[in-house]
Order: sequence, then structure tokens, then C-alpha cells
Amino acid sequence: MSMPVSPRGRRAFLRRLAGGAAGAVVLPSLLQACGRGPGGSATSGGGDRGGELVISSFPLYIDPGQPGAPGSVERFRKDTGINLRYVEDVNDVRQFFARIRPQLASGQPLAQDLVVLTSWMAERLIRLGWVEPLPLAEVPNARHLIPSLRNPSWDLQQRFSLPWQTGIAGIAYNIKATGRELRSIDDLFDPKLKGRVSALLEMRDTMGLLMLADGKDISMPTWEAAQPSFDRLEKARRDGQIRRFTGNDYQNDLLAGNLAACIGWSGDVAQLALEQPDLRFLVPESGGMLWADLMLMPKGARHRQEAAQWMNWVYEPVEAARIAAAVQYISPVQGVREILAKDPATAALARNPLMFPDAATRQRLHIFGPLDDQEEARWEERFAQITEG
Amino acid sequence: MPRSPRAEADRRRRWWPWLLLAPGLIWLIGLYVLPLLGLVPLSLSEPVSRFGLETVFRGRVGNYAEVLQAYGPILVRSFGFALIATALGLVLAYPLAFAIRFHGGRWKSLLVGLVVLPSLTSYLVRAIAFTSLLGDSGPVLNLVASLGLTGWLDGLGVLRDGRLLNTPTAVILGLTNNLLPFLVLPLVVAMERIDPRLLEVADDLHAGPLRSFTQVVWPLSLPGLGAGILLSLIPAAGDVVNPKFLGGPNDRMIANAIETLLLVQLQAPRAAALTLVLMALITLAVLLQLRGRGVDDLPLP
Repeated sequence: MSMPVSPRGRRAFLRRLAGGAAGAVVLPSLLQACGRGPGGSATSGGGDRGGELVISSFPLYIDPGQPGAPGSVERFRKDTGINLRYVEDVNDVRQFFARIRPQLASGQPLAQDLVVLTSWMAERLIRLGWVEPLPLAEVPNARHLIPSLRNPSWDLQQRFSLPWQTGIAGIAYNIKATGRELRSIDDLFDPKLKGRVSALLEMRDTMGLLMLADGKDISMPTWEAAQPSFDRLEKARRDGQIRRFTGNDYQNDLLAGNLAACIGWSGDVAQLALEQPDLRFLVPESGGMLWADLMLMPKGARHRQEAAQWMNWVYEPVEAARIAAAVQYISPVQGVREILAKDPATAALARNPLMFPDAATRQRLHIFGPLDDQEEARWEERFAQITEG
Repeated sequence: MPRSPRAEADRRRRWWPWLLLAPGLIWLIGLYVLPLLGLVPLSLSEPVSRFGLETVFRGRVGNYAEVLQAYGPILVRSFGFALIATALGLVLAYPLAFAIRFHGGRWKSLLVGLVVLPSLTSYLVRAIAFTSLLGDSGPVLNLVASLGLTGWLDGLGVLRDGRLLNTPTAVILGLTNNLLPFLVLPLVVAMERIDPRLLEVADDLHAGPLRSFTQVVWPLSLPGLGAGILLSLIPAAGDVVNPKFLGGPNDRMIANAIETLLLVQLQAPRAAALTLVLMALITLAVLLQLRGRGVDDLPLP
């Protein structure tokens, strides 16, 4: 098995374009959302699309097909005869939620049978009753799920979600641009890096890292404990220390040299480092954020059987290894490391500490605890005031 | 009593204009006026729950006060950016329109086509392309550095710590790039109405180029200027893409705030209030612009 390496330029451009497209659809969705009077009904974009299994996920989060080497989507279609439509339309979890909310809130099914979303959003959807229990009885390969991800805090009985990939949020930096190794979150606030630092729009990752650096317990985050970190972030934005708040698009700036250091995600940096060897990824001494993206079945999904087949297929260790080799995040499937180690083309990946963190690194990884609705609204408002000026 | 054929024809003639207007009117009322009116009760409502769709009308005028307080500075910044971009656009558009009108000769159509050509590309793609041009190691900053202008431009506030991307300047440059055709075209149309012999007369009367511009071209092209400002200021003030890609977190514009309110904070009533404030300000700007003259005075392309 060889590792597909995609042309970076195109990849980076697509990511940015995906981000931009999300922005460009704002006005129509604004009208759609606001034009609905009190108690009005949402328009339906859903419906059964002729026996098609529809999956929404983040852009470039699966092995892409190449001439002569079909990607997972194509091979699944061929292996099972299932007509799969794999859509990369989740750029920002919060905006995706805003898009699907009208239908789910009014009890209408979505076009999607599965969506890949981050764990905190999964928790919200489970709480709202907007997702179905997964047909796990028909997913025998789910037994390959790594033990540390079983019965997680966001889905204690493991009924509604199955991890797609997990990863680490930490500090990505270009050692040539910083001129030195970085060690901690404090380094992001170094005046020498003024205007060449970015943070993530994913509130839990940015705030989690800052709070860990302040010595706070983020497994039970509280509003009071977060204030010093909010203040610090706000000051850094005002002073021009922070150049941008980003989604995936920090990658382009990191490669183009516009950023010296940023808060980023492990898999992205692992992939970028193939092209730019000066890039480093750091799990700060104070701790890094462990996150998980999960497969969820929206309420009223029509193709349960086919969705189960897909989940079973991607949990086959060989297939999971192919996907892991392309996306370079932490695979939730046991046995991936051994498969990668066997193939000389991917053996280096099996030794990659960002894909297979050692015990010492694992010790330093933390999961952001739950926020109730009211708390979350307050946090998001403050965070938006900081990120949106 | 049978109606006379003449009265019948008169009656038909009276209906014709309405028939012709109907498709446009239906479109405008159904897809613009009604949704906009729908925003009024929404802007005075409160959401029932955080994630539900229902809102209750409470006559909550406080929504307006809250958004004005929270986003007032961003509103001022948005119109500020739009004004500066329009002014910068005019500095570029006047000589361009003048050259196309009076010196374009048989190339005139081609030149007008070239002005419009960039608009055929998605403005999203153009903004993304700008990020490469204005980046820290991009061609623009390289040129500035090789001319030794970095320190000077930094002192003027055009650059921020030697950077251009993710600064107000980058946002304004992006806006200017977008609105240039909307300034050039009305100016060319307005200047088409200027008799070239007037320039010859000015020349004969020993007016220099500057004087002939200020006393002949400028006053006669004013209707074009009005139309251009109208067509460029409004979309610029409500732009969402340029601040998002070219600006930093301190350079956000009002459409970005509406986007976040609606899609991230899920506060549709406050988003509606802010949208209506923006619409009111834009309407006010249009009324001021049209004050004292009719739309037919504007040489819209």
C-alpha cells in the first residue's frame, strides 16, 4: 500500500475555497433563516435521493482517489454496490449546525444518512434528540475501536456515535520563522512573533489550551476559571499579536510564511511537514487538547442498513489504515499501526508520534468537559466578540 | 351598448405597462419586500429556546439598543472602509474613464470589456488570489521592500509591522478592486455625453489640462459620479468576503458580525435587528445621494 500524497497547492486552495464558500452562502442562508416568521416552517432540502447513501464530512478527510488508485469512496461503491454520495461540506461545525437545524428542529429528515461532527456537537445533538441510535449490531468491526475511546463522556453508552478520527490541538510552528524551539502557550504571546500568530475558531481547542496554560482544570470548565484566558486572548487580538482566527485555513498561511506559529491540529501539520520540513508540532508542557470527530446518524435517516455497511467497512483495519495514511490523524481503529508498519512505504507513519502518541504524550492530553446550554451560550458570545472584533 | 374600438385600445394601452412590470414586481415583492418585512417582527422577538426555531414576538426594542451598542463601532468601520475604498476607486476610475472616452478610439469597446473582465471571475476567488499577492513574502511587499518604502508606509499606517495581509489596507484594496468597474462604467457613460469640442474650446481658451478637467469634465461627469458612488458604496459597506480573507480580527465588517450572530450565536432576532439597521443606513445613503434629482439623471450603464 502506498501513501497517497496529494498536490499541496491544490489541497490548500481547496481548503480555503471551502472556507470561502461557507462565507459566500451567508447571505442566502441569512434570508432563509430570517425570512421564516415566528413559528414558520423550514424549507426542506432533504428527501430520499433515490436509494443513495449520503454522508457529510469535513473537506479532505479521507483518502482521495487517484488515477489507477481509487480512493475509499470509490472502492466502497465497488465492493458493496451501494450508491454512496460522500459530500465534503462540513467546514465549520457551528455553521453546519445552523444549516441542519431548521429541518431537525421541525422533525424533518436530512438528506444525509451520516454526518461527521466534533464530539461536543455530537453531545448537543444527542441531548436534543436529533440523532438516531446507530445500528451497531450490524457493525461487527466496531469491536476494533480502541479501548480509550469506548464509552466516552459525550456518549456514555456508546449508542449514538462511532469515532471517525481523533487528533490533537496544539502549537504548530515554523522553526525558521520563530528562530527557536517553542515550549509553551506563552510563546504564542512573545512580542517577537507579533502579527504572525493565529488561533483556532474552534473555541474549545483555543480556550482549552489557554486554560491549561493557566493551570485550570478543563474537564470541568467554569466561566470564572475561563476569564483570565478570555482576557488574555482579547488583549492579544487588540494588540495585533494575533493575526487571524482560523478554521483549517491556517495551513495556507503557515506554508506561505504569513504565520510563524499557530494553534493547529496534529494531522494537518503531519501532512504539511512532508512539504515544509521546518514545520513542527508541539504538545505544550501544560497540556494539549484531545478531540474526536464522530459519525452520527441524523434523526429520520433512511439508509440505516447501508450506513451500517459503511461504518463496518471503514472499521476494517486495512481500510482504516489507508484512510489514516492519507489524513494522518489518530485512527480510532486497532491494528492500523501494525498494518502501516508492515509496508515500507508507510512504515515511517507507524513511528509518527502524532498518529500514535506514546504514553507520556497521552498523559498530557485533555478533553474539554461539557458546558450546559446557558454556559455555552455565554462562552460563545464572549469568544465571538473576541474573534469577530 | 358596444364599446368603441378606440376606448378598448385605450384600456389595453393602460394595462400594458403593468403587464410589462409584473414579472419584476412579483419578483421584487415576493423575494425582497416580503422577506424584508418579515425581519421586522423577528427583530423585535426573542428566541424561545437556544436551538429551537420558534421565536416569540415581545416588541423587544432592546434588541436594537443591544446590537447598536455591541456593533456600533463595526458599523462605523464598515462605512469608513467603504468610503475610503470608493474614494480610492474614484482616483483610479477618473483617469481610466477619461482615457477610454477621449483616447480609446476604436479600442473603446475592448477597453471597457477589459475593465469588466475581472468581474467575470468569482469575487471569492479574487479575494483568495489577493491573499497570495499581499502575503508577507508576496510580490507586493517584495516590491515595496525593494523600493525601500516599508518603513515609510509603516509610519503612515498603511502597513502594520511591515505586513499588508490581514490589515485594514488589504481589506480596502480588495474592496476597491471589486468596485472599480461599477465606478468606471457610469463615468464612461457620463463622459460619452460630453461633447469633445468643449475640450477643444477649453484648450483654445488656454485652459491647462487640470483646469479643463475641473471646469469641463468634472461638472459634466457629476451624474456619473453619483451613479458610481451609489453602485459601489452600498455593496462595499455590506461586503463579507474581503474582511474575512484579507482582514484580521480587528478589521471585521458588519456583514461578518451578522453572519456570526446568525450562524454561530444562533441569535436570529439580533441578527435581524442588525440587518435592518444596516438596511436603514444604506437607504439613507441612497436618499441623500438622490436628493434633488431623479434616477433618470443618473447615467446607469
